Amino acid sequence: MLGALLYLRLTSLKNITLSRLRRLKQPKYFLGAAVGVAYFYFMLFRRFSGGSTSLAGLPSSLSAGLAPTYNFTATLSIFGALVLLAIVLFTWALPKEKPGLPFTEAEVAFLFPAPISRRRLIHFRLAGAQIRILFSAVIFTLISRGWSFLGGGALTHVLGWWLILTTLNLHFTGAALTINRHIDNGANPVIRRWLILAGVALLLLVSTLSILKAAPSFPDGNVGPGDIADWLARCIDSGPLHWLLIPGKLVIAPFLAANSSEFFRTVGPAALILIGHYFWVARQEASFEEASIAYAEKRAARLARVRDGTYRLGQAKARREPFSLRVPGRAELAFLWKNLLGTQPYFHARVWLGCALLISIAVPWIVRSEHQKLGANFIITFSAIFSAYTLLLGPQLARQDLRSDLVHADILKTYPLAGWQIILGEILTPIAILTGLLWLNLLAQVLALAPMADTISWLTPGFRFTASLCIGAMIPVLCALQLLIPNAAALLFPAWFQSTRQRSGGIDMIGQRLIFVFGQLLVILLSLFPAILGAALVIFASQWLIGTCAAVILGTLVALTILGAEIACGLWWLGERFDKFDLATELRA
Amino acid sequence: MIEVSGLTKRYGTFTAVRDLSFTVQPGEVLGLVGPNGAGKTSTLRSLAGIIPANAGRIHIHGVDLGTDPVSAKRQLAFFPDEPRLFEYLTVRQHLNFVARIYGVTDYAALAQPLLEELEIADKADQLPSELSRGMKQKLAIACGLLHSPRVMFFDEPLTGLDPLGIRRMKDSILSRARAGAAIVLSSHLLHLLEEVCSHVLILKKGEKIAHGTLAEISAQFAHGENNVSLEEIFIRATGGTEN
Repeated sequence: MLGALLYLRLTSLKNITLSRLRRLKQPKYFLGAAVGVAYFYFMLFRRFSGGSTSLAGLPSSLSAGLAPTYNFTATLSIFGALVLLAIVLFTWALPKEKPGLPFTEAEVAFLFPAPISRRRLIHFRLAGAQIRILFSAVIFTLISRGWSFLGGGALTHVLGWWLILTTLNLHFTGAALTINRHIDNGANPVIRRWLILAGVALLLLVSTLSILKAAPSFPDGNVGPGDIADWLARCIDSGPLHWLLIPGKLVIAPFLAANSSEFFRTVGPAALILIGHYFWVARQEASFEEASIAYAEKRAARLARVRDGTYRLGQAKARREPFSLRVPGRAELAFLWKNLLGTQPYFHARVWLGCALLISIAVPWIVRSEHQKLGANFIITFSAIFSAYTLLLGPQLARQDLRSDLVHADILKTYPLAGWQIILGEILTPIAILTGLLWLNLLAQVLALAPMADTISWLTPGFRFTASLCIGAMIPVLCALQLLIPNAAALLFPAWFQSTRQRSGGIDMIGQRLIFVFGQLLVILLSLFPAILGAALVIFASQWLIGTCAAVILGTLVALTILGAEIACGLWWLGERFDKFDLATELRA
Repeated sequence: MIEVSGLTKRYGTFTAVRDLSFTVQPGEVLGLVGPNGAGKTSTLRSLAGIIPANAGRIHIHGVDLGTDPVSAKRQLAFFPDEPRLFEYLTVRQHLNFVARIYGVTDYAALAQPLLEELEIADKADQLPSELSRGMKQKLAIACGLLHSPRVMFFDEPLTGLDPLGIRRMKDSILSRARAGAAIVLSSHLLHLLEEVCSHVLILKKGEKIAHGTLAEISAQFAHGENNVSLEEIFIRATGGTEN
């Protein structure tokens, strides 16, 4: 029997590999594969040949802060164990009903009615997971190879990752079977869940009190990120949490081993935990079929929705309208209204205003506290990083636009609207969401900059106000420009777009997604160039005559005009393209 | 009224519809039939302005779809075979959205009777995921009818409907035609043509094989025989094959 199951697993693996190799005949997959391979070579494999350097892979400022002062491995062990503990607690606390084992619909259809014992099915599931775990272990090793300060070698890292992932997988399976057994024995799922959540809350409370009582003092002097991480780790590793983190530390220890002898010393306890988990799972007698069928159906439905482009996080729920949609009015705003209804309820004007109020109170309080410089630096750095990510990656994530509505293209095209109106209407929602996020960040930065005015002479309140006003005005325009590109990609290369939005794996798919991201960066840089050049020239030429603040305003107006013209041209061109667009034909080509 | 002259639709080198001309007067229901790949859906999608035609002219209630698509689209409604609804909009919100798009100022007064006529008034605050297939179809029809179109296109209107839903859909099409709408529908179901259509246009490989009233088509292909079924006429007209 196990032979048949092994045949199924290996044949499936062989066929999926062959089908992915065959699709390389198509240029889009071949190009994607080439870029994917190049990416992995330059980002991961090259590190092997380049030799190991201390703290490679970390930003230089961070590595400088970490290296000389303390043992980062110990800190990593504590944080890693904390993550494992959190995963374990969520595994027990999250299921509202009987959790299923991750079988596919085909496996359910063929294996569940077959004369195979439950125990065999569980072993089939565990063995099947090994392929994925081994692959993940290799990939994680390649990624973590950059953290060469860990010591150890490629083999110990692969084995270390394998131990961690296999133990977690066994724990997931064991927890699912145990919860199923308890519910079958009459335990109320709701009470069970609340009891666990209450236990977690109690643990958090006791741990917090313990940390507050015996927290080590915050380091004085020039505090770097390494000192903060060390201090946090010492805070966490105290009281009841210290004991609860021990199993996690033991599981992680082989991965963190500095050399072979330390690996062999630490692998024993980790292996014992893994074997204990295996026996816990193998000895369970619990019915998991019903829950697994439900799981398989949900998974299949989710995959189908991903494929047809209608998948979104969370279940559809009727929610309060973001604003009243009066008739008559601009048709473009109807798209904003419609797409906002499809987002999460927290994308609402009242929530944004609440956040703005909170930032307006919290940031001044933080920057005037005892560690004001640290707080201000942290807020400015974090906001800057978050803003950069929001601006660059936000358009890829906020997809409440034509990319979500492409499946409705037939209906949209029957509307009595020009193509550009539909495109404009569609991108309004992600513009609103990204602009809201960036404005909140800008507010935090402006408030955090206030104390610096004492030491930086030109950072006057007037200049801060002018600059923030100008940046604030630029944000929606930049978001619009950024969003035009992925929407254009969806219209210009619908076959590519269709394949990249499916969550299928493969190095060619990674390459295709990378091509999209780099293409977007290139186009945005080209689009920004004339606006930046125009604004810079105006500021340079006029600041001697009208002063810096007025020159910045004038430069911003020039930049806004150039970008506005670019967006208008883009909208008109995409509208023309949309009018001629036929998804069915494009995909057939 | 729908006036089509010389409509041609090509996909690359493949010609899906070739030099098609016909007229549908107000109150008429034209059934578009033909074997698989005959060009029915391409014709309907071109008429509704979803895909641009390569050649020919289409006038919707006197407005040229090619030169003034926005005005032409104000006069038409397209009903696809599968109701395409927005997942996160309730029934009422769908109507509000469509009203804003088409500028139907008195939509509140129109929507309620429409929902009642289609028997979905009690579902006004439900999402499409909470509706049955038939209910979804009714909502799609309500959205299409809200702006009182003078021209309607139905693509396989009976797909997925139960017997009662089929009966109601036929009645709905006929009542709209009686109210003066020009209607084109495509279907494989020959009994639908017999019960609903005043005219039939048979397509094969993108070309018009026959066009006229049911009686005219029957006379053309019955070859003097009596009691020849519509199925037999269809087979004779298309040669019994797709090619």
